[in-house]
Amino acid sequence: MATVQISEAEKVYILHGVRDDLRVDGRGCEDYRHMEVETDMVSNTDGSAKVSLGHTDVLVGVKAEIGKPRPVARDEGYLEFFVDCSANATPEFEGRGGDELGVELSNTLYKVFGNRSSLDLKSLCISPGEHCWVLYVDVLLLQCDGNLFDAISVAIKAALFNTKIPKVHLSEDEQGGKEIELSDDPYDCMRLNVENVPCVVTLCKVGHRHVVDATMQEKACSVASLIISVTHKGTITCVRKVGGGSLDPESIFEMTETGKRVGKALHAPLMELLHKEESLGKKRDKVGFLG
Amino acid sequence: MLKSKTFVKKTRSGGVMKIVREHYLRDDIWCGTEGCVECKQEETVLQKDVHIESNLCSFPHYLLPDTNVVLSQIDILEDPLIKNVIILQTVLQEVRHRSAPIYKRLKDILHDKEKHFYTFTNEHHRDTFIEREPGESANDRNDRAIRVSAKWYSDHLKKALSEEEIQIVLLTNDRGNKEKAVESGLLTYKCEEYVKSLIANPELVDRLALTDDDKNEITSSKVLFPEHLPLSRIQAGIKSGAFQQGTFRASRDNYLEATVFVHGEGDQSTEVLIQGLQNLNRSVHQDLVAVEILPQNQWVAPSSVVLQDEGPKEDDATEEVEAEKTLKSAAGGAESRKPTGRVVGIIKRNWRPFCGMLFLSQIKEATRHLFTPADRRIPRIRVETRQAATLAGQRIMVAIDGWPKHSRYPNGHFVRSLGCAGDKDTETEVLLLEHDVPHQDFSQTVLSFLPKMPWSITEEDMAVREDLRHLTVCSVDPPGCTDIDDALHCRDLPNGNQEVGVHIADVSHFIRPGNALDQEAANRGTTVYLTGKRIDMVPELLSSNLCSLRCNVERLAFSCIWEINDKAEIVKTRFTKSVINSKASLTYAEAQMRIDDTNMNDEITKSLRGLNSLAKILKRQRIEKGALTLSSPEVRFHIDSETHDPIDLQTKELKETNSMVEEFMLLANISVAQKIYDEFSECALLRKHPAPPPSNYDILNTAAKSKDLVIHTDTAKALADSLDAAQVDGFPYFNTLLRILATRCMMQAVYFCSGMDSDFHHYGLASPIYTHFTSPIRRYSDIIVHRLLAVAIGADSTYPDLMDKHKQSALCNNLNYRHKMAQYAQRASVAFHTQLFFKNRGIMNEEGFILFVRKNAIIILIPKFGMEGTVFFENKNKPSPKLTFNQEATTLTVEGHTFNMFDKVKVTISLDASNIQHQKIRMSLVEPVILGVSVAPSEDNQPKAKKAKLDG
Repeated sequence: MATVQISEAEKVYILHGVRDDLRVDGRGCEDYRHMEVETDMVSNTDGSAKVSLGHTDVLVGVKAEIGKPRPVARDEGYLEFFVDCSANATPEFEGRGGDELGVELSNTLYKVFGNRSSLDLKSLCISPGEHCWVLYVDVLLLQCDGNLFDAISVAIKAALFNTKIPKVHLSEDEQGGKEIELSDDPYDCMRLNVENVPCVVTLCKVGHRHVVDATMQEKACSVASLIISVTHKGTITCVRKVGGGSLDPESIFEMTETGKRVGKALHAPLMELLHKEESLGKKRDKVGFLG
Repeated sequence: MLKSKTFVKKTRSGGVMKIVREHYLRDDIWCGTEGCVECKQEETVLQKDVHIESNLCSFPHYLLPDTNVVLSQIDILEDPLIKNVIILQTVLQEVRHRSAPIYKRLKDILHDKEKHFYTFTNEHHRDTFIEREPGESANDRNDRAIRVSAKWYSDHLKKALSEEEIQIVLLTNDRGNKEKAVESGLLTYKCEEYVKSLIANPELVDRLALTDDDKNEITSSKVLFPEHLPLSRIQAGIKSGAFQQGTFRASRDNYLEATVFVHGEGDQSTEVLIQGLQNLNRSVHQDLVAVEILPQNQWVAPSSVVLQDEGPKEDDATEEVEAEKTLKSAAGGAESRKPTGRVVGIIKRNWRPFCGMLFLSQIKEATRHLFTPADRRIPRIRVETRQAATLAGQRIMVAIDGWPKHSRYPNGHFVRSLGCAGDKDTETEVLLLEHDVPHQDFSQTVLSFLPKMPWSITEEDMAVREDLRHLTVCSVDPPGCTDIDDALHCRDLPNGNQEVGVHIADVSHFIRPGNALDQEAANRGTTVYLTGKRIDMVPELLSSNLCSLRCNVERLAFSCIWEINDKAEIVKTRFTKSVINSKASLTYAEAQMRIDDTNMNDEITKSLRGLNSLAKILKRQRIEKGALTLSSPEVRFHIDSETHDPIDLQTKELKETNSMVEEFMLLANISVAQKIYDEFSECALLRKHPAPPPSNYDILNTAAKSKDLVIHTDTAKALADSLDAAQVDGFPYFNTLLRILATRCMMQAVYFCSGMDSDFHHYGLASPIYTHFTSPIRRYSDIIVHRLLAVAIGADSTYPDLMDKHKQSALCNNLNYRHKMAQYAQRASVAFHTQLFFKNRGIMNEEGFILFVRKNAIIILIPKFGMEGTVFFENKNKPSPKLTFNQEATTLTVEGHTFNMFDKVKVTISLDASNIQHQKIRMSLVEPVILGVSVAPSEDNQPKAKKAKLDG
């Protein structure tokens, strides 16, 4: 992952600040940086969202395509994740430099989002065993400034909220042959229920304390961090430790408690924002990438 | 301003794709109105002074039709009276989507400067573009777009025109749309209302297509036909194999019978028989239909009854039931049964305007009449007109609007009048239209590619061409031929061999690939020769002047020169572009005279004699190889030079010189075919004549058997030999008759691209490879062959389309189609002139031979006129005589007399003008005398037993 080099003195400064609940940019330990969310950014996807968190910028697009259900879950659709670490985000991603990170991120995304408790996968089924919707979730990193997981998870939730799947119905002829028929009205589409879609909160252990939404500098001072996905009810659906150092059980407990609290608080304003944007409909002025 | 249009589409693999298109809106789209002060347009289309008198709209106005009005009432819009019409882009796009032919006609109107039709690109105009609202159907959205644009126009014209007030009249037949338009303050009428309101143009009303509202009143409520299936079910059925898709071909002889030609993979095409009105289910000839094959126990055999739909039937099914019964009883044994089906739905209508005549209703002052198309395969059409009295006796065009399930006949409307029936020009126009022969004058664009006059051969031309002006070249053609495309020469070489040259007009020098002239020629495909008229493929300047190899002028040619030894074997062949100067343009008779006249010994005559002797050897060799000599009766008319009426008829006589020219043309064609195929194995344009399937010869075999002869049909050679051997003592014409029959067994020769086929054989000529090279003035195929050959010898450069085998193949299809149609048109023209001839001559008694025997009729060939006619033994008004048909031996016994094939009979021939719809030659039997069937010979004509001449 993109890293920065910092001196010992800087490290000490950051550590002392965190100990006193005052971070370099003036935030408390459980504060997020300024976050912007905009949906319906890319017209040729079925749903899209862009999230910027500090200087971290991610774009998520969702494409719905018709596919065959997996044999183990014949009456469910499924999601596919792909994370593209573009060299725009940081020069380190040039060539195949971002591949490893991309795979790591997408593996985590499968764990966090690709299960039936976060999304009603049955609603994606068209005809059991034959046709289902496959949602291709493509994540594009535009700029890296730490805390990618949180930004991506918020963007995915917003993009899924924004996703409009064209309504189809199956027509059956006498011979039993099935034909997929498409609604002629472009406004006639299915929406996903994203209520249970979790958000990821990454907690960074800095010194004896932990911080949310760590910057690159703070990250450089941390030995290990915990990725926790939390639903709006505060249920933890997934926990993962990343980084080279180790964490003692007590601090893991503390960190999950913080994660729950912070995660729960993250959902409500996000959903409110999304609904507000939705209600503006076509009258909304799009900000786009240049805004 | 940028908008995007988003829609979802099903992909071929069954997936769903979201497509986003950018859509730009502009504010520089002008209204096209003359005198508009707001728009900065350079050219205007819509006139300032609009005159169209209507008692609904007494003020100046522009018309703005919606899509359905354009689709259904295109004939009205085409009328010269209708001017100043705004066609919205929305309408244009919808029309394009819904009907390609109407779209083309609409485009033609839009291009016509006189019509003042303006296309307003409302979809790109900032003020008139609208987006589809949630819950709105695509149609509703388009209707709204039309209303928004109409509103914009009315407001715009109010502002922009200072003095005069021009209003917009929206034409729509949709009730909902009309209501909404009126609500928003637009002037809206139904098309019918508007057209009926036009003062002083009542005839326009006839051209109104009947719309749904009117249909209910015109027909009874009785449902006559089963419902057509919707397209989705048809498609599903075809996919699952329950239905077959094919082209509907109505039978010419029997209006209750048709076949559906099902296109299969490769050679697996099959024909499905359809019998009975219910099963035909409102299909019209050439429609693309879906058929369901009936269970095998309901299969029937094609009947050999000749049935014609006589008189109007007011949706009365009883008569049909009877007719169908006859059909059923007439069906043959189980062995001749064929796959039979019924039409379940129409995939695509192939309706075009049909030529024909009006059959006046019995009721006086009725406005609904039946129209009888000239093509017997097309059903009668019910039309509504107020000018029936004027139109009776005229050839008119009628378009079909629809065929509701409770109507015996389709409904249509009058399109235009072609002129008086029986009039030569009218009839010619009819047969050209019916055979889809492009016969309009050449457009200015086409003519602009002609060489500038005075034209002469330039230095550059001479430099790249061989100078053959010194050779004694001459041409031999039928009399009166002005498009001479071939000339010949023959001279002795020092080594004892002979040099023979075939010089073909170099048309490809004048017609360059891809320009408008080339495209027009490619579309026409062939020159069509009608009696007394020629429809040129290329403009006259080329066909009769610059390309025609007339005598004593220098002309560009493409020459094929052989060195031939005295056994007529080719020693050397070469091709070259050349300049020639023909020394004489001879007719066949003149050339024959020169050859026969021993006193003449000039260069030309010597050359002709050399050619003639070589041709004889060549012909013998060809026949030995198994080339067929077939026969078809051909006639020529002597045309009165002033009235252009036929005054005499004579069968074409073949002279030695005919076959001399033919022989060298064949040789040139074969040589060129070999050359272009060697050079371009993938894209050579060749001509093949497939061997007919054995079953084609059935009729020939039974015919021969009746005279105790055997015809071998295994190979072309065997056929040729057994035809030669087939003689009957005391019946010299028998052999010719047999050859006429053999001709009918043959397949059609076709053009094809060598890269798309593997079978090149020409059956009739017994040549492994063949093409057409020798008549580029009248055939487009030859032009392509010229181009290929020119590339092969390095005399010209190639172009991409020439080397594209798919494009070539498409071209071949068109050429084959045009050739077929040209032949039909030719035959129709001869038939018409035969009628004219008999009209002038009155009733005649002639001898003829029975060519075919049908269940209720015999078909007779009159050798003298090369004419065929049918003698019916069943008559509506008289009790039918006792008929016994023997399928095996193809004989028909009428009241004790048995008719065999080839029997000699005597008939009276007269023009049946009682039915003005279809004037036809009527034949009635005179000899043998059968009580109640035969008629007495007409007396006012001197008997003409020119048997001796016929036999010669």
